[in-house]
Parts: sequence; structure tokens; C-alpha cells
Amino acid sequence: MVSLPGLHLTATALEPANPAETTQTRSQDLLPCSEYRFEVPFTRSLTIRLLSGTAEFFGTELAPSSTYAFTGTKGAVYTWRGCRLEIGGLAESEYTSEETQMSSYANAHFALEGLRDRSMQTGEPGPRVLVVGPENAGKTSVVRILTAYAVKSGRQPVVVNLDPRQGMLSVPGSFTAAAFSSIVDVEDGWGSSPISGPSPIPVKMPLVYHYGLASAEDGATFKPLVTRMALAVTSRLEEDVPSRQAGFIIDTPGSVSQGKGGDYDHIDHIISEFSVSVLFVLGSERLYSDLSRKYSSRSHDEAVAVIRLDKSGGCVDRDEAYMKQLRQAQIRAYFFGHGDHTLAPHSHMADYDELNIFRVFDPASDPNAAFRPGNDDDDIFGTSTTIYEKVKPSTMIQNSLLAITMASANEPQEVIRDTSIQGYIYVADVDDVKKKVRLLSPQPGQTPSNALILGSFPEDLPGLVS
Amino acid sequence: MSQSAEVAADFKDALQDLKQNSRPEISNLTLIAKENTEYAQAISRELENHIRTTRPEWKLPALYVLDSIVKNVGTPYTVYLGRDLYRTFMNAYTLMDPGTRKAMEGLLKTWKQPVPESMDTRPVFSPEVTQDIENALIKFRTIANQGMPQKPPMQHNIPGRPMPNVPWRSTPTPPQNAGRYAAANDPRIRQPVPQAAPYGQYPPSSTPPVQSQPHAPFYPPQPKPIDVEGLKTSLSAVITSTQKEWAHTPGDQALPNKLNALFGLQQILNTQTLPPDQLQQVAKQIQNMSPPAPPAPPAPPAPFPPSTTVLPVSAPFPPSSVPPPFPNSSTPVDLAQLFAHARPPVPPVPTPTPPSIPPSLAEMLQRFSSGASSSAPPVSVSPFYSPPFSAAPPPVSVPAPPTPVAAPPINPAADLARILGQFSKPAAAPPAMPPQPAPLVHLPFQGSSTPAPAIDTQWLSNLLKTVPSVATQPTPISSQPMSRQVSANANNPNYVELTTASIKQPRPHLISKLYDAYPNICATCGRRFESTQEGRERKARHMDWHFKVKDPDVAKRGIHRSWYISEKEWIEYREVDEASPEQVAKAASGIATAPKKVAKDKYIHVPTDTALVNAPCPICQEKFEPQWHVEANDFVWMDAVKINSKIYHATCWEEYSRGSSLAAPSTPDSVLGKRKAEDNPGSGKKVRAY
Ligand SMILES: Nc1ncnc2c1ncn2[C@@H]1O[C@H](COP(=O)(O)OP(=O)(O)OP(=O)(O)O)[C@@H](O)[C@H]1O
Ligand SMILES: [Mg+2]
Ligand SMILES: [Zn+2]
Ligand SMILES: [Zn+2]
Repeated sequence: MVSLPGLHLTATALEPANPAETTQTRSQDLLPCSEYRFEVPFTRSLTIRLLSGTAEFFGTELAPSSTYAFTGTKGAVYTWRGCRLEIGGLAESEYTSEETQMSSYANAHFALEGLRDRSMQTGEPGPRVLVVGPENAGKTSVVRILTAYAVKSGRQPVVVNLDPRQGMLSVPGSFTAAAFSSIVDVEDGWGSSPISGPSPIPVKMPLVYHYGLASAEDGATFKPLVTRMALAVTSRLEEDVPSRQAGFIIDTPGSVSQGKGGDYDHIDHIISEFSVSVLFVLGSERLYSDLSRKYSSRSHDEAVAVIRLDKSGGCVDRDEAYMKQLRQAQIRAYFFGHGDHTLAPHSHMADYDELNIFRVFDPASDPNAAFRPGNDDDDIFGTSTTIYEKVKPSTMIQNSLLAITMASANEPQEVIRDTSIQGYIYVADVDDVKKKVRLLSPQPGQTPSNALILGSFPEDLPGLVS
Repeated sequence: MSQSAEVAADFKDALQDLKQNSRPEISNLTLIAKENTEYAQAISRELENHIRTTRPEWKLPALYVLDSIVKNVGTPYTVYLGRDLYRTFMNAYTLMDPGTRKAMEGLLKTWKQPVPESMDTRPVFSPEVTQDIENALIKFRTIANQGMPQKPPMQHNIPGRPMPNVPWRSTPTPPQNAGRYAAANDPRIRQPVPQAAPYGQYPPSSTPPVQSQPHAPFYPPQPKPIDVEGLKTSLSAVITSTQKEWAHTPGDQALPNKLNALFGLQQILNTQTLPPDQLQQVAKQIQNMSPPAPPAPPAPPAPFPPSTTVLPVSAPFPPSSVPPPFPNSSTPVDLAQLFAHARPPVPPVPTPTPPSIPPSLAEMLQRFSSGASSSAPPVSVSPFYSPPFSAAPPPVSVPAPPTPVAAPPINPAADLARILGQFSKPAAAPPAMPPQPAPLVHLPFQGSSTPAPAIDTQWLSNLLKTVPSVATQPTPISSQPMSRQVSANANNPNYVELTTASIKQPRPHLISKLYDAYPNICATCGRRFESTQEGRERKARHMDWHFKVKDPDVAKRGIHRSWYISEKEWIEYREVDEASPEQVAKAASGIATAPKKVAKDKYIHVPTDTALVNAPCPICQEKFEPQWHVEANDFVWMDAVKINSKIYHATCWEEYSRGSSLAAPSTPDSVLGKRKAEDNPGSGKKVRAY
């Protein structure tokens, strides 16, 4: 085992942001209750500074004297009371709009606040919120707004991301949960997980599981991981009083809302495992009527309030090319940091037989998938042999991301599946002759002997390091 | 039952048994409080309740418990108990015999000083807290000397809390006390307050608020200028107490309206310079709202027949004459128009307010806009009450005449609008301003130095546009399946029912809860803080934290991503707020939290002293490496302890002291042993540390 710190550690640079444009700024006035919507590609940077008034970005207030830089972002700066912004750089598209859903979203927050107050008085748990809806309906945006408002109101909600397509405080392909007690980052999605140095925005402490597939429909592991996550979150909330009062908010992938044949199996599973008490349905009328029929009539103790929220006119469909760039940016940020806050990962060599890699069965690409037992029964989530396949390192794993579980390689596969992960390493190079791999790790140290999970998602990322 | 409720219940039980000045019992109660500081709020509330409700002869021992807790445990109890100390103390004081009062005065004296033998040089309670009580006592004694009964009846009659910075004598209005903080079932409150309006209902435009003419009586200019900072402080105090009150009686429909008006006022004070006469008015209003007086009107002093006291004389709007609060107008009023009318030149000072209940801000504004002389009832005030301060709220000899029906109905939005309108252009606006052209309304902007873009009334109409008129959209709520909890809450404009229909109804007035409730913004990151003392302290700690993390050498240190914590660690992990006092406590003394740590998990903050920074461990001679510690939010030296001003490796010291049979810093297997390092995979707790 050779450790070669400092070797080849430069992240391949993206196209440089357009410095020439950023020097020119313009000001933009916003009327109360309106927003400035913009899209910035990954190749550019747009800066926004609040000159006067108040403004917020998905619920998090802009500081009056800070310049925020956005890259690869589609979003909106909203103002309740009017403001003047200073904007630098060129957006791919930009416009202002007075037609927003912020009033409803704020009401949703205040309604939840009522439940949180009640929780403080009675000791019963706070609101347990699930947000569902079709793709790009603005689910994640609503979750962010509700989180930011809760934090602003002095709460400490737990946010759970069950959408593998977009990571929260981690890379895509993961499921995470984190309590938010400090402000949500404006520039960097949900902010950062802990790093070894100070962070200008307090870091968040996530619990991370690796799912490794693109869609909830695909895997035999979606439901068991939901179950596991629910267990962890519920346990935390038992003792963590501020979080119990604030409750949690779950973000989901659009795929669980497709409801093949009127069947919302995954939603059902999430609702029962997390004892969801409030269900926000975004955008789809049909989904709302299906779900409210199903859940509003439940008996009192397991009643779910099903609320329809309208989709914001600002929501943009994100094509696959953008999503792929977003995934790459998230992976890059995991190792190298975001914006000015660069991180220094380490690179080291490992022998083939040091790595215990478990590859996730992807039914979408696995011809044997059809022969695997079904996983309809919640109690038996498949059998050991069907979850992972142990693979030897080969050039096949080049450029892929390995999740380091907290389980040892000898554990039964269910145990490996159910453990949270410690982090990710990236396979930068594979030498099939010497039987060695070069790994990029967030920090120095040995290659863990733990079980490593190799999923089919996110896809390989060639050239993360050059 | 929640843990907090459980602890509080235990504490309460122990309190019930306290019937004399028993040292062991008091120490025991102090110990409970000390061991449960995380439930300090609940415990403090229990203690306050007990002092308030227990028999007079048992109050003093309970006050000794309070005294013992604040002196032996200190924060956070000083904070929680300090907030309402005025009320707690004065409530009890007024009921005591002279001997006990002496004892209480003795207590108060010690609260103005630091805890004996303590390092902390600050007084037990902040001077603001004790000074108010002190002032009240002086007044109380003065009045007592004038022939007040030494032992007032069992009613709660606390002298109004004086405004620290507002000269008493300068106020034409005698201070008021009863009513503002009345219990929820106080008929005086219930009746006069108009039904809370769904936001957005305005009086028909045909009856705009009446312009008030400048009129007599004219009060000469105040001798002493109003201290605006003091005013702001008092205003936040009023806001805080109103919020608190509201938290206790969420059903009270008057409070949200009042809060809204207060927030509007706060914004104005924060962003504009008001002419002195307006400041005077504001000061008076705040002052009137300040005394956290308990409900019942006290027995009247001699000159008044007892019967008058029970009359709801002070009701600003006798129920019989209250106009339907929301005229069923199907056309929503143009707010711009309303604004235009609502901004008359401000009359110098309105007529003296009827004494017994302080007029609400809404009322005051109403009087401004509707012609104060017509609505101010002639009230005979006994000369006895002309001293600005009296122990007993002055009753009124005649019932107040019904408020003229012409008075525009009170409605939170309109109030706010009126306040804003009134103050937004001080000294401008000729008397009868025509409705159009719609004047520009300069909304106060928070946290910005650059002038805000001129926002015209369009923003309000913008808001209004989205406000569905209830007249045209009859009660959509009732048709919803989730309407079980409509009951009391439905009328509370701050309560948002969890239904699709309710969530679609815009409630712009709630937004102040996200902004004005925390007026103090951090310019670096946008986090907001309350404008209370506590809020300021939190912000100060927050700014310290910003300063700390702005380490120019950071880049050189080679920062990297930390491993994620394990499931078990995550479940046991508790978020750390860089602004919370515990954070500082933790930082100040590694010792405080040390007992539950094994030696190598001990850390100290990297010292600032250059000699110390460069000194190696005296035992092994190795230097210390700074590491970022997430929980501490700071650079620390892990495995380090400071002993007699030298820093050692905790492990080195432990070994050394064991060998030399010195008392090692105790490392018991820990009460909270859940987090022992061996439980963690990998490198134990350090997983998180770097
Ligand atoms: N008001 C808005 N103005 C501008 N852009 C917006 C607005 N609301 C959402 N967006 C953008 O639209 C896109 C889709 O929104 P969002 O990610 O919240 O939807 P989603 O339902 O979570 O999507 P998915 O199903 O892919 O998870 C995002 O890029 C988001 O930033
Ligand atoms: Mg999403
Ligand atoms: Zn800050
Ligand atoms: Zn040493």
C-alpha cells in the first residue's frame, strides 16, 4: 500500500467563468411579492448583491453586504417587500415575475409552525412532512423554502432526501438526513457536510446511505433503505428535543409519484415507515386526488393531512445534459469543495485485493434481474445473493465512485445494505498489469477494508482528476 | 409526557412542599434546577407560577429558591427568570406584610450586586431588570405613605413598569396598567376587541378614516428629548412580552393585531427619524403598554365607590356600539386610497386618554385619524391620579360613553397601514389630501444602508390583489375535509389551518414573523436575531464566530472533507449553534464537558498567547497540532488539557498524574457513556474532529 499524497490533485478545471462580464453590474428593482428568475450555465457565473430592501433565495435571506455567485443554477431571488439587486454577469435567461406561489409556501410554513408550537406544548412529535409530485414540480425548492423558514423561526428540522438523482449534502446516488439548525447555503445547494477547517456557513452533519441507482423503481434496496433511514431519524427525534418539535421534511424523486396503475407503492412505504402526518402534493391534480382519497380518510391516529400546493411558474425542466453536469458538480464539490472554498483530497495507490467491492444489481441493466424474487413483501427485502455482486477490481471500475460503508466485508449483504456510509472514494486509475488502483480519497489514510458499494449511478465520471 | 414536562412536574411537586424557609429543601430545589439546565425554561416557568399562585406566606420561601438558583446556577435561569422578574417580584411584594417586604427588598439589593465570591463581576440580574423594580418600589412606598393600605387586597396591582428612558413627568397621560395583559377570559378584552379579520378586509372606501384636525388641548413641548434607543428597547420589550402572552393565549385575537402594529412601529423607529412630537406619542403608547400588569382591576382607593371598578369602563369599544368590524363590502378597498386618508398631519398630541386601560396602538391611531376630540369621552380623573404613577390603576368615575359609530373599524392591516401611513412622511401631507395621485409610500427597509427603491402603493395593491375577498369567496374552509380544528383557531389571523384552501389564502401580515420579529440582521450571512438583550448577545457570539472562521491561513492548512459520522453517532449528535451561550461555555472551559470524555478526546481551543501556542507538551516535548473541531466550531488541540497555565497532552497528563498519584482530571466511565470512542468505527470520535 503506497500512499502518495499530493499526487495529481488538481481538479480538471471547468471552462473559466467569464470574468469580463462580472465586472459590469446593473441594478434590478423588484416589486414586493415578485421574483427575479435566472438560469446560469455551469460555464458562467452570475453575481447578485442586495442593495436595499430584503430578498431571499429559496427561503434563505440574502445578507445585505454579500455578493453571491451562482454557477450552474436555475433559481429565483424573491422579495416580500421589494428590493433592489445588483446583478453582475450574464444569465442564460432571466426575467422577473409577480406570479409566484410564495404566499402558499409561506402559509404552508406557518401551518407547520402551528403544529410545532403544539408539539412544544404537548410533547408529541412535530409535523412529519412528505413532499411528492412529478419531476421538476418544485419539490426540492419547496423543501428548501420550508427548511429555511423553519430555521429562521428558530427551529431545527431534519431534512431527508430520498431522491438519488440529486444529492443533498452529498453526491447523487445517496440518501441523506440532516438536522438544519443554521442557515441553508445560498450558493451551494444545501451547503456542505463537515470539512477539516472552518466554513463560512456552518456545515451540516448528514447521515448518508448509498443507494447507487438512478430511480426508486429500480432497486430492491429502495424500500429497505427507507426503512433504515426512518429508523435512524425516528431514533434521533426521540431524544433530540428541538428536532422532534420541528419534525422532518422528506424530499422525494418524481418517480415515486408516477403511480403506475394508481399504485403509489413507494409513497405508501415512506408514509408508513416515517409515520408521515403531512403530505404536500405539488403540481399534479390527479396525484392529489388519488392521494387525498387514500390518506385523508384514515383513522384519526394515522391521519395524514393531504395538501395540494401549486407548482411555481418558475420551475424549469432540467434536461439530462444539465442533470449530468449537476451530478458531476456535486461529485467534484465532494472532493474539491465549492467555489472559493477549495478542499485538498488525497491520492493513493491500493492493491486489487485490498478492495472489497460490492456491485449493486441494476435491474435496468442486469438481464438476470427477471429471475430475482420479487420484493413486494416488506419483511423480506430480497435475499443476500440478490442485493450485491462481489466484483474484483478491473478496468471496469475506472472513473467510478465507491461508497465506503461502515460494514466489514464479511457481513451479510443485508447488513452492508443497511449501514450508513463513511464517504466516497474515486477510482482515478486502474493498472491491470500491476493489479493496482489509484484512488482519490477526501482525506489521507489507508484504503478502508470495509465493504465498498459500487452502484450504477451516478455514472462514471471520467477525468475528475488529471 | 415530554422530558421537559416531566422535569417541570417533579420540580413543581418539590415546590409544593416548600412552606417555610428550609435550607435543605431550597438546596434540593436548587440542585434539581442545576442538574436540569436544559429544561431551565420549563423550570423557571414552574417557579414563577408557583410564586404567583401560592399563598402569600409561602411566597417568600419560593423567592428564596429563585434567589438560590440564580446565584448558584446562574444562566440560563437568570435569563428566563429575569424576563418576568418585575412581575414575579412586584406581584408578590404587593401582597406581603411590611416585614416580608423588607426581606424582599433585601433580596433585591443582592441582585444588584455580583454573586459573592464569584469571578463574574456582573450583577446577578441586569440593571435593567432590577432598576424597574427599584423604581416601582419607590413609587409604591410613596403611595403607601400617602395613606394607601399597607396590605392591599388580594388583587394584583402592580405599579406600571416605568420606562427607563422616558421621563415620567412629561407624559400627559397617567400610566395605565390593567387590561393589556389581561387573562384570556377577561371580559374587558373579549368584548372590546373586534373580531379578528381575515386579512385584507377593509372598510368601504366611502367611509375613509375621518381626518383629524389639529386641535386642543395642546401640550407644551416636552422638556426632555425622547431617547430613541431607549424607546426601541422598550418597544422590543413590549413586543417580546406580547409575543409571550400570545404564546400563552394563542386564541386571543387581539394580540396578533397588536403585534402587527408593533412591528410596523418598530420598523419605522428603526428606519426613520421622527419629529419629537411623534416620538412623544410613540413613547407614550409604548409606555402604556409596558407594565405587565395582571388582569383584575384592584379595589379602588377611597374616593371611588367600589361599584365603578367592575365596570368595563375602559373598554375602548363597548360591544354595543361596535360597528360591524367588516362591513360586507364586496369591493375591496383600494389601499392606496386608504393610505391617502390615513395620513393626516399628525395632531400635536391627542386628548388625554381615558385612564383606566391604556389605549391600544390601534385605538390611538384610530383617534388620530378619526378626530380625537369627538371620540375621547370626558372622563373625570381624580387629582389623586394625576401623579404619573400609582399603585392602583385609576378607576374611572363614569362609564365611558359609547364610541361614536363613525369610528372606523379596527383591522390589523388597516392599523398597520395607518401607522405606516402616518409616519411614512412625517411633517408632509396637507390636511385633506386628495386620494389621488396615490402618494409614494416609502417602506422602511431593514438592514440596508442604501436607500430603497421608491416603492409605491403598488406593492400594497399587489398584496391586495392576491387577497381574496371573503365576501366573494364565502368560507372555503368549511368545505374542506380537514376542518376539525377550525374552532378557536380559525379566527386567529396568525393561525394557518392545514388545508389546501386555507393555504391558498394570502396572509401577508404573517411575513413579519420572518422579518420584523428578528429585526437584527447579520450583514455577513443574513441570519437574523431578536432585538432583545438575549438576541444581541446571540448576535455578538455569532459575529465572534464569523471572525474566528475568517482565518486567512485556512487555505494553507490543506482542508479536506471529513468522513460522515455513523448512524449511532448521528442519532446521538446534537446540533451546535454558534450563537448559543452553551457554545461559549463549552469553549471557555474544556473542563465543564471533560468528565464525559476519555483523555484523548479532550481538547482545548488553540491558545492565543504566543508563548503557549509554541510551547510543546511539557511531558513528551511534542508540539500540538491545530485541528478543526466541528462541535467546537474552532481550531482546537485535541488530546490536550490545561493545568496550572501549562498545556499538556491529556493522555500524557493522565499517565503522569496517575504515576505521581496526583488527582487526575476525573474521567469516570461517564453518565452519558453512550459516546465512548470504542463505539465508533474507524478512528473513533476523531472521525468527526477532522
Ligand atoms: N421560482 C423559481 N424560479 C426559478 N427557478 C425555479 C423556481 N422554482 C424552482 N426552480 C428551478 O426549477 C427546477 C426544478 O425545481 P425543483 O428541483 O425544486 O423540482 P423538483 O420537483 O424537486 O424536481 P425533481 O423531480 O427533478 O427532483 C430547479 O432547477 C429549480 O431551481
Ligand atoms: Mg428534487
Ligand atoms: Zn452571520
Ligand atoms: Zn505529551
